[in-house]
Amino acid sequence: MNRFFKRSWSLLILAVALLALSLSGCTGGVRATSWTGLNREGDQLYVADLTQVHLLDAASGDIVWSFPTDPRESNRGYFYVTPTVNETAVVVASQVPARGLFSQPQNIVWALDREDGRDLWRFDGAEGEYVEGGALGEDTFVIGNSDGSVYALDLETGDLRWSFETGHRVWATPLIVGDTVYVGSMDRHLYALNISDGEIVWDFETKGAFASQPVLEDGTLYIGAFDDKLYAIDAETGEERWHFAGENWFWGGLTVHQDVLYAVDVDGNAYALDLNTGDPIWHQALLGPDDQAVAVRAGPTLTEDYSKLLVGSEDGLLFALDTADGSEVWNSAADGQVLTPPVVGEETVYEARIYAPFRVRALRVDNGNQIWAYPPPDEE
Amino acid sequence: MFNFIAYFFANILLLLYNFLGQQTVVAIAVLTVLLNLLLLPLTLSQQRSARKMQELQPKLEKLQKKYANDKEKLAQEQMRIYREEGINPAGGCLPLLVQLPIWFGLYRAIVFCVPRTPLDLFQFSQHIYKFLPGVEGLVPLQSTFLGMDLGRPPNITQWWSYALPVLVFATSWIQQKLLSPPSSGEDQSQAAAMNRQMQIMMPLMFMFFTLQYATGLSIYFIISNIIRVVQYYVIRRVQAQGEA
Repeated sequence: MNRFFKRSWSLLILAVALLALSLSGCTGGVRATSWTGLNREGDQLYVADLTQVHLLDAASGDIVWSFPTDPRESNRGYFYVTPTVNETAVVVASQVPARGLFSQPQNIVWALDREDGRDLWRFDGAEGEYVEGGALGEDTFVIGNSDGSVYALDLETGDLRWSFETGHRVWATPLIVGDTVYVGSMDRHLYALNISDGEIVWDFETKGAFASQPVLEDGTLYIGAFDDKLYAIDAETGEERWHFAGENWFWGGLTVHQDVLYAVDVDGNAYALDLNTGDPIWHQALLGPDDQAVAVRAGPTLTEDYSKLLVGSEDGLLFALDTADGSEVWNSAADGQVLTPPVVGEETVYEARIYAPFRVRALRVDNGNQIWAYPPPDEE
Repeated sequence: MFNFIAYFFANILLLLYNFLGQQTVVAIAVLTVLLNLLLLPLTLSQQRSARKMQELQPKLEKLQKKYANDKEKLAQEQMRIYREEGINPAGGCLPLLVQLPIWFGLYRAIVFCVPRTPLDLFQFSQHIYKFLPGVEGLVPLQSTFLGMDLGRPPNITQWWSYALPVLVFATSWIQQKLLSPPSSGEDQSQAAAMNRQMQIMMPLMFMFFTLQYATGLSIYFIISNIIRVVQYYVIRRVQAQGEA
């Protein structure tokens, strides 16, 4: 009996311990909780790739510098957000995980020297994670945080100028135009804030969270929300001009060219809408190899000649659609997930992946053929 | 399989949130009550078994004295009595095993509805039951309760959030004490010793979990434990009235 009794309790303890391990994702390696950040300036690619930030040569994929130089220097944390770049600095953010039950994770904004990757300043005043990149004003860097606040930092020193508290997490990249910061929050509000002191100019409320950066075109802001709708809002007053209902959340950013607004919802429905009325011009459902709808997190990117719309998916496919009618021109499949919007050069598209051996790939815009991949196969 | 349970619970949570004034804690509490109703047959059988064990205690103590020097014979005799009375001596831990998928599903459901990382939220975006009334645009749910973030583990900044794991320990200990097969101080058998250890070990383990995971899960554990304790006293009272 005792043996039976002992075995039952042992089984329970084992099961509970296994449950704890599975819940904590204890897999023994670096675990992505967000997506790789990617940005391009001229012939330079900036990549926030888990434990390091890299500057890659856009033509070859070779590393110019890395921060920190040794990827085992884990005390800098994990970098995710899209690097924001100006003439002298690259601003990124990282999270240093908690080291024990009673320690706190640290969330840090880093400004790095654009030339050599040296750290110029750091800001660790936020309590939550940074999920998306920030925006640069003339002398201010503005970024949202999961603790529900928007932080405005002095671009020279990293000192906090002001913070603005919203009702929920802020996972959207702000947009700075002139003296105004436009930023969406998970509290279902889009806020217009004064860049000098963070005071509200207006706020616009919907029935869904905002997690993307708005686009401004001719005095109108365009933004998608988690209530499955795209909104056109007067940038001066915050009044709604029109909205368009999609089939699921709009999480990624939007793209505008010549009176056409391009958007993709998380169910992989790509839309081209009339910029002035919101009327659909075309709609294309993106499908994977098994003809199942693909999941799309990131917004679309237009090629430099505006002929193609590039969309990455959770299934690892990168689609190039004809902007005229939404038909598929090519797609490129590889391991992992593409949850970051691709960035484009004249003849090249660059995409970042998570859960993949290649974190960045350069492909030809005309046919999707791979030019290079980072890290190169022999460095994996 | 576990994800299916989690998506299902997450959608029920959305529905409850919508109908209960958009209060995340209230939605978790009501879901906990519903889940405990679902588990009621199992809980009742566990409590009946614990009560029978209590009644058998004098008999078992006699056996221990009689076979004090023959452990094997003692074990055989104890098993015979359990068989005759239709008692499973491990009945105390089986309901906990059955609850494992529920804990996992609920934990993931809380993570989906009050997400800490964007990947969790993105995963759930494909699995919202849009046919449910009013769930559109609800995610992420309001994440703060008494200044605590329900999607995060307890932390120093919100120091009072450590009260939840302590409450989980306390309520688990009380529940464990009431529902475990009783043993007298003289009962030195291995099973009794194991039982006494479990009365401390299990609450400690639950406290350890809740120190690491979203505080929303602590709400589930605390309410579940309180429900079990109340159930225990209600059943005792009903049985006592029946006997009278």
